[in-house]
Amino acid sequence: MIAVCDAETIFALSSGHGRCGVAVVRVSGPASSMVLRNMAGLTQALPSPRTALLRRITDPQSKELLDRGLVLWFQGPHSFTGEDSAEFHIHGGPAVITAVLQALGSLEGVRPAEAGEFTRRAFHAGKLGLTEVEGLGDLIHAETEAQRRQALRQMDGELGRLYQDWGYRLKRCLAHVEAFIDFSEDELIEDGVLNQVDSSVRQLEAEIERHLKDERRGERLRSGVQVVIAGATNAGKSSLLNTLCQRPAAIVSPIAGTTRDIVETSLDIGGFPVLLSDTAGLRDSSDSVEREGVRRARQRVEQADLTLVVVDSTQLPPDPQLVPAFLQEHLSTVLPSPSPEAGMEAASDRVLLVLNKSDLVPEEQRERTEGELRESTGLPPACFLSCYTSTGLEDFLTVLQSRVKTLCGDPLSGAPSLTQARHRAHLQQSVQALIQYHQYRDQDLALAAEGVRLALTHLGRITGRVGAEEILDIIFRDFCIGK
Amino acid sequence: MLAQKLHLLRHNFLSFVSSRTGSDLTRRQYDVIVVGGGHAGTEAAAAAARLGAETLLITQKITTIGALSCNPSLGGVGKGQLVREVDALDGLCGRAGDWAGVHFSILNRSKGPAVWGPRAQLDRERYRQFIQSELLSTPRLTVLEGSVDELLVSQPNPEEPGHHRVTGIRLVDGSHPILSSSVVLTTGTFLSGSLFMGQTTSPGGRIGDVPSCAGLSYTLKETLGLRVGRLRTGTPPRIVKESVDLSLAQLQAPDKQPTPFSFLNTHTRCKPEEQLPCYLTHTTPGVETVVRESVHLNCHIQQDTKGPRYCPSIESRVLRFPGRRHQVWLEPEGLTSDLLYPQGLSMTMPPDLQLRLLREIPALHRAEIRTPGYGVQYDFVCPTQLTPSLQVKSTQGLFLAGQINGTTGYEEAAAQGLWAGVNAGRTALSLPPMALSRTQSYIGVLIDDLVGRGVTEPYRMFTSRAEFRTYLRPDNADLRLTPRGFEEVGCVTLRRYEKAVSVRDGLQEALMALQSVALSSTRWREKLGNISLSENKSTTLNGLDLLQYKDVSFEMLASAFPECLSPYFEYSQRLKIEAVYRPHCEKQSREMERIRREESLSLPSDMDYLSLPVSLSQEVREILDRVRPNTLGAATRLPGMTPAGIVQLLNYVLRTGQRNRHTEHRNQSSQKEGGKGQLCASNIPISQ
Repeated sequence: MIAVCDAETIFALSSGHGRCGVAVVRVSGPASSMVLRNMAGLTQALPSPRTALLRRITDPQSKELLDRGLVLWFQGPHSFTGEDSAEFHIHGGPAVITAVLQALGSLEGVRPAEAGEFTRRAFHAGKLGLTEVEGLGDLIHAETEAQRRQALRQMDGELGRLYQDWGYRLKRCLAHVEAFIDFSEDELIEDGVLNQVDSSVRQLEAEIERHLKDERRGERLRSGVQVVIAGATNAGKSSLLNTLCQRPAAIVSPIAGTTRDIVETSLDIGGFPVLLSDTAGLRDSSDSVEREGVRRARQRVEQADLTLVVVDSTQLPPDPQLVPAFLQEHLSTVLPSPSPEAGMEAASDRVLLVLNKSDLVPEEQRERTEGELRESTGLPPACFLSCYTSTGLEDFLTVLQSRVKTLCGDPLSGAPSLTQARHRAHLQQSVQALIQYHQYRDQDLALAAEGVRLALTHLGRITGRVGAEEILDIIFRDFCIGK
Repeated sequence: MLAQKLHLLRHNFLSFVSSRTGSDLTRRQYDVIVVGGGHAGTEAAAAAARLGAETLLITQKITTIGALSCNPSLGGVGKGQLVREVDALDGLCGRAGDWAGVHFSILNRSKGPAVWGPRAQLDRERYRQFIQSELLSTPRLTVLEGSVDELLVSQPNPEEPGHHRVTGIRLVDGSHPILSSSVVLTTGTFLSGSLFMGQTTSPGGRIGDVPSCAGLSYTLKETLGLRVGRLRTGTPPRIVKESVDLSLAQLQAPDKQPTPFSFLNTHTRCKPEEQLPCYLTHTTPGVETVVRESVHLNCHIQQDTKGPRYCPSIESRVLRFPGRRHQVWLEPEGLTSDLLYPQGLSMTMPPDLQLRLLREIPALHRAEIRTPGYGVQYDFVCPTQLTPSLQVKSTQGLFLAGQINGTTGYEEAAAQGLWAGVNAGRTALSLPPMALSRTQSYIGVLIDDLVGRGVTEPYRMFTSRAEFRTYLRPDNADLRLTPRGFEEVGCVTLRRYEKAVSVRDGLQEALMALQSVALSSTRWREKLGNISLSENKSTTLNGLDLLQYKDVSFEMLASAFPECLSPYFEYSQRLKIEAVYRPHCEKQSREMERIRREESLSLPSDMDYLSLPVSLSQEVREILDRVRPNTLGAATRLPGMTPAGIVQLLNYVLRTGQRNRHTEHRNQSSQKEGGKGQLCASNIPISQ
């Protein structure tokens, strides 16, 4: 965290994902010049600092052409991070971006940046002013939040299960090696334990390598801004979905609890890819199917980039002055309680309030309520709308579109390709570390164990950090260890 | 409790008592008072005295100073590393082990030198004698028999953090208080201790000793408001050696050549051929039957609802891992002792059933019990209330070490005792406290784990707890700790320092000599005969590169280059180890540096986390408020802490410049630390 002289070189996509003309990939660290030479075909001198140069950008291994784009060179300390840095301005299509990021990740000593790492390096190099420093915590917070959401989405799917399974097996391998080191002289720990670890490690190695070669796996990541419709039962969530996609994708009925599972549909809003999900109405139910629907709904809201909270306007308090407090209260039942690192301010950026069934509310009351809401602070933007008459739809779409645009243009919303590159880098390093295990297995078990520890550290960057206590838990569960 | 007369030690070692004895009887003011004469207390008292502090050790019974209350052994995997480190800081237990050992072995011999576990079976009597005579010949150290009734506490020094300040103690029978600048409590299992055997319980911390510490317990809990928890431990029955059929057990021979614990010793007191063997045997299904039948008569086990994850007793082993054979080691208790210690058979059932259980084991079918096993439950002070110098955060001058902090084991106690003694001494001498980094020693790992995370079960050292295990090796503990111990800490005597420095210089020269001999791999093969080198023929390798190979020894290289290398024969084993581990340690050095930087940024102990004007979530605030991490490093290791939270804290601390003098000092020392003793991490000039 406070390391000043980072020897590693990092890279990240610093422009947004989604549709954009130009994407910017930043590289920072001592190997930046090597990166430029290798990928922009600069055999001789580097370009003069801060001057754009049009180059063919190629894969350093296969020499395959990836794109033609601008490259810039910033010699430290005259750069954002204070280190040697480079920028690649490439075409904004996802295929090009992914290819360039993967090519970068394949270079030795170069890895994808962790959340906030560029900013942190800039901070430690004294490149940030006081106000910027104050904002640093918030920024890193936002980045980790975005990565957390992105990770949650992926951990949900098949890929997540795969990583979790590897993590679990690797933890067991490490626990058994550690048990053999710490306890086999005093306790009964069979010699066969290490042989089992040998074969488990070999198998893991093979599986991860196979996964790295299988390009299709990476495509499973869902892309697009995740917009989720949530709210109480019968507020008109499914009607909103149908209105937005202009076709009856979901069944609507006046019966509360009609939608029980997630209804998902892909949309194009203002030119940006959006994955819109309709969820079950949130209420306590005795029906086990509906309860599961509610659980899934809450889970989906937690992973969402943007949540549309639908409220039945006829349920609002008749006195407009009471509406803000009512909505505040209502939001707290719909939205997940803030995660440890999430402040409230972050939540309101990711929520739109949709006050549906506005046709059933008297015009005068609606206007006074709108006035109250404009005055109140701390609430997300609210739009009156009638899915039935389409009144207010235009205004709502304008607000929605600007939100989606901001999210798409924001590099923090977790570009899947970047996450993919991070995962690849950590998996590759994991495999490297497992090779160390075999190398030292018969010569020095402490050094062999170091290989498994390192592999787990890298996998832990994807699945979550593993501490010594967790390993001890497994040791004490699997072996009878005395005082 | 019976009032005991103030009683100075006049037992067997009268001749050692210095001429100050007479005046000591009236002395009422010391720099440091240490309460307790176990492994923590003796190391604490000796360390404080070495530092130059006028020190008083108070113990209930002078004859039990240095007693091994449980197993007659020292060291092992992880624990052996601690003994080597305590020795490197000039502590007692390593040399005591060399004096008292009757069976030496290096555990894990086949698994790599980083995890070798030096271990010895001890002669209880010799161990006690050594510790007692050592303490009595220590200048500035007075030993007093007595029971402490209460701690004297007054207003804090306003310039230092804390709500109280300790000013001394009052004895149970003492009308006058005895004053001191610091107090180290090492009361082991005596804090609200109760003994369990079968269905009977009685107050106490060890069988045969009067219960004590009622007043102390009150001061800690009520006056100082410290949070305490309850832990349990136990000890096995002692068996009459003659009644054991050793022919039915497997003989375990010691190492042919004993390896001393201490860096100062070249050999142990016990000659190789005088060593005693251990014996290995196993439990049978009959043992399991006895345990199951006795559960209803066994209070200790019945109360074991939230027991530790490991198995402290034979009862818990059998109940948690049924249908298995469990190992039982029969260990000698000493050269002249007629007893055997059955390691692995700690139990708390009624004595008649203990006998029945033992006799279910073939080698013990006629066994007689001298003293039955029993369990102990005791209070410990939640160690998150301590600073890395082992001082109670709220109370200036009060230090805790050993089982009172929730640890188990002699070595863990000795390590904490030494460090608490060092800091108690420094405080008394108006020197700033010091911390050991977890990147530099197992002692640092131990203390950082205790004060940073707390304990839920008795804490025992394992090598798997150390991130930098390949650097924290038993072979290099002297290089890691002795120079710093002398130059900065002040707990190391000149003699040991000079020896460590000469070893360091010798190793350094030897490494340079190794690097100076360079040949192509073809030439090396010609010189050394049939060795397999993976490098291709033309690659040039120096001696240090070559020494990394499994089949290459320093002796082989020295015979190839006798002029250059033979002066360093005495270091041959250390050089081999250094060559193998050095590349790995270098790889880890950046991570080490990161941890050390974070450890060096201390968080003010009076920080108001709940209203800190930075954006932190309520949950993080509450964790911080509860644990009050001492350093940014400790905060990083808290469960639930986020990268954003860490940066917020860092910014806040840097902005407000609230770093107290401890930090500045620690910053300096951690910078220095990087420059010394760190043989592994690229400090040796490398000649190309």
